[in-house]
Amino acid sequence: MTNTTISSWNKRFEKKQQIIESVNKLVDGLIIPTDRIIEALELLIKPGDRVVLEGNNQKQASFLSQSLVMVNPEKIHDLHMIMSSVSRPEHLDIFEEGIAKRIDMSYAGPQSMRIAQMLEDGKLELGDLHTYVELYGRLFVDLIPNVVLVAADKADRQGNLYTGPNTEETPTIVEAAAFSDGIVIVQVNEIVDELPRVDIPSSWVDFIVEADKPYELEPLFTRDPRHITDIQVLQGMMCIRGIYEKHGVQSLNHGIGFNTAAIELLLPTYGESLGLRGKICKNWILNPHPTLIPAIESGWAESIYCFGGELGMEKYVQARRDVFFTGKDGSMRSNRTLAQLAGQYAADLFIGSTLQMDAYGNSSTVTKGRLAGYGGAPNMGHNPGGRRHSTEAWYNMMTSTDELARGKKLVVQVAETYQDANTPVFVERLDAIDVKKQADLAVAPVMIYAEDITHVVTEEGIAYLYKTDSPAERREMIASIAGVTPLGMEHDLEKTQQLRDRGMIAMPEDMNIQRGQANRSLLAAKSIDDLVQWSGGLYEPPARFKSW
Amino acid sequence: MKSAWLFPGQGSQYPLFLDDLPQYSGVIKTINTASEILNEPIRALQTKEKLNSTKNVQMTMLTAGVAAARYFMDEGAEPQFVAGHSVGAFAAAVIANVLKFEDALTLVKERGELMEELQDEYYGMAVIVGLTEVQLEKVVSTIHTEEFPVYVSNRNSPTQLTLSGHKSAMRQVIREVDGKGASSAKMLRVTTPSHSPLFLPVQKKLKERLSSLELRRPTIPVIANRNARVLRRAEDISDDLAESIALPVRWHDVTTVLHENGVRQFIEMPPGDVLKRLANQAFPDTYSYAVTTNGIEDCLYVEKNKGV
Repeated sequence: MTNTTISSWNKRFEKKQQIIESVNKLVDGLIIPTDRIIEALELLIKPGDRVVLEGNNQKQASFLSQSLVMVNPEKIHDLHMIMSSVSRPEHLDIFEEGIAKRIDMSYAGPQSMRIAQMLEDGKLELGDLHTYVELYGRLFVDLIPNVVLVAADKADRQGNLYTGPNTEETPTIVEAAAFSDGIVIVQVNEIVDELPRVDIPSSWVDFIVEADKPYELEPLFTRDPRHITDIQVLQGMMCIRGIYEKHGVQSLNHGIGFNTAAIELLLPTYGESLGLRGKICKNWILNPHPTLIPAIESGWAESIYCFGGELGMEKYVQARRDVFFTGKDGSMRSNRTLAQLAGQYAADLFIGSTLQMDAYGNSSTVTKGRLAGYGGAPNMGHNPGGRRHSTEAWYNMMTSTDELARGKKLVVQVAETYQDANTPVFVERLDAIDVKKQADLAVAPVMIYAEDITHVVTEEGIAYLYKTDSPAERREMIASIAGVTPLGMEHDLEKTQQLRDRGMIAMPEDMNIQRGQANRSLLAAKSIDDLVQWSGGLYEPPARFKSW
Repeated sequence: MKSAWLFPGQGSQYPLFLDDLPQYSGVIKTINTASEILNEPIRALQTKEKLNSTKNVQMTMLTAGVAAARYFMDEGAEPQFVAGHSVGAFAAAVIANVLKFEDALTLVKERGELMEELQDEYYGMAVIVGLTEVQLEKVVSTIHTEEFPVYVSNRNSPTQLTLSGHKSAMRQVIREVDGKGASSAKMLRVTTPSHSPLFLPVQKKLKERLSSLELRRPTIPVIANRNARVLRRAEDISDDLAESIALPVRWHDVTTVLHENGVRQFIEMPPGDVLKRLANQAFPDTYSYAVTTNGIEDCLYVEKNKGV
């Protein structure tokens, strides 16, 4: 056999070597001097390159993004950016300047108006909106990066990296470039002689640069208990009784809303009074939520695996190494890709909040005129059809006697029937459908699909949607807990009673919950200060959450 | 911290508001310049009675905004962005160095005259609070006719919107929404249906006037009224100044785009504090101040120290 068309099988590698040689005079080994980063980027990045810029909803490679916006657009242009989250002004400034042209991303909440404007003005081309896991997956398939720009806490002089509690997706991004002859450039807060531990080995890294300021880190998962309402307490009690206890939920993921914060703070009080400790909520896949401290201190959590860290929780987590995944050095290790995998295939339940739901249970958090994309919910909030192993809760979702019947992941959406006085959560048609048209998307940005959702919880009650396949019946069930929204007005009392009798829906009374008993006094902590006290002073809340 | 200076539009004026400006020499200089161009003391135009004229309101507001902002600049403060609501956009253009104050005053005078020529006691504006744009548009589309037109005009916040058009049509909309979704729905005491297609003739004349002026490159980017774009070219700013009179002011989008561009401090130039309150409402994580209510010295202090 002969092959006359391919002259070399090392072209990528040869090209990479040439590019790296081109910065020889600029760099000191693998260290790019801080004040020469712009020149270095101008040599290391080529027009049209696929570039991953690390920026998720927590950690941001802020020094590198601020440097990228300052390169000469005549030298670097038409970049194809791949980013989990478009959240900083300069992430879009690089498009305004003509440095980048195309983007594949997951989330653009904090920049959603500008990104919609730039799409409309033709300043930016949208590849696609992805869920996190899809975007990571495509880094190894058809969006293989030429250059990745990421952030780490520390590097040693060989280029080994310490990413510590905020490891997040850094190893995933670096792996995609390091093993495809892409160029890996890392901003670090400091260069040291010895690292606490190695999170990413030096052989995966091409260049490090000491940033002028530590990378940006957003305390996204900090919820001040002062803002939890009595309604959220009621919903939390229903979730604990009507879902967690009823189905025997052992392993779970919580979203970032106040609803789930309420549940976390009810476990040591209400949950304890029901004798549920040790029976439910033992294995967690979630970030170190400060509102989980009282439950951890009361012995509820056997294990917690984290997507990322949380600002201020470092010392507390370090002091609870039996619960959190912790390195030899004593600090936590997170990994967003693995936590996503665990949350999808190994967890009994996902629970989150929504802003809009249609009559069949499709839900979305997008609002008109904006292009926000997705957070972690679409991945966590679905039933992975390939799952085989059975747990009590998963098996409990089985409604068929078919010989091949299997269970289902519990996907719970919590919503108050009205967002505000004029905005019902339950609607005939999701705004996402209009956003699809406006932004010319291939699919409507639905957060969680009706086919995946198993439970809906409102202040009126719980709809056990997994119990039926009939769209008409789903609609009746949702209407019966939709309050005085237009959809809720459809339900009639007789049918609602029938649904209750058949266990298709449940009202608080059916769960032995007195509405009057549901109030903030049940929360194990009512303020950030309470959380600090529960932690024995180990939790150090960011300044903006301090009230004293 | 990035900051933006905001210049209010008609509705924020109150009698003798120019006298509330500190009497620094720089401020007095701008007021004197205005009086010279107009050939009459501008302070004479700010009485309760004189402010019944939209022309007088616009000229005095422009003067107050420019006088205060120039004081900040003389003291060494400078914003990263400027934006003005409706007539406020002319003050923003002056502070961004696109328009000379003299030209802006003449333009605004003409704008006011053109609006007054078209004014008609049967036309005006209304404000509706509590409904979203989509909800209000739905009602308006069933009531609007060519004979009795009504339009959703300014989008001040997601649920604070104005109507412009024929008073009978607006009353009909108010009847339709009051108590049914709207927490407040009332007519404004103006006879100019601004920011609606009824003012297309004003738009055309302003465009002609602006094209004859010599405009300079902005030294500070300006946010557009009509589509909330960041404008960095003189011709784009000029287009927005002319066109916005017949198009809705998308102020909530303006505030949002500033926030997305990293602005965390807003300073509202005089008179009033409407824009400061809208910014606070939309983005509780920002610091917002108004010269009228917080005092010019305190505003200058936070502006020079960017949030200290």
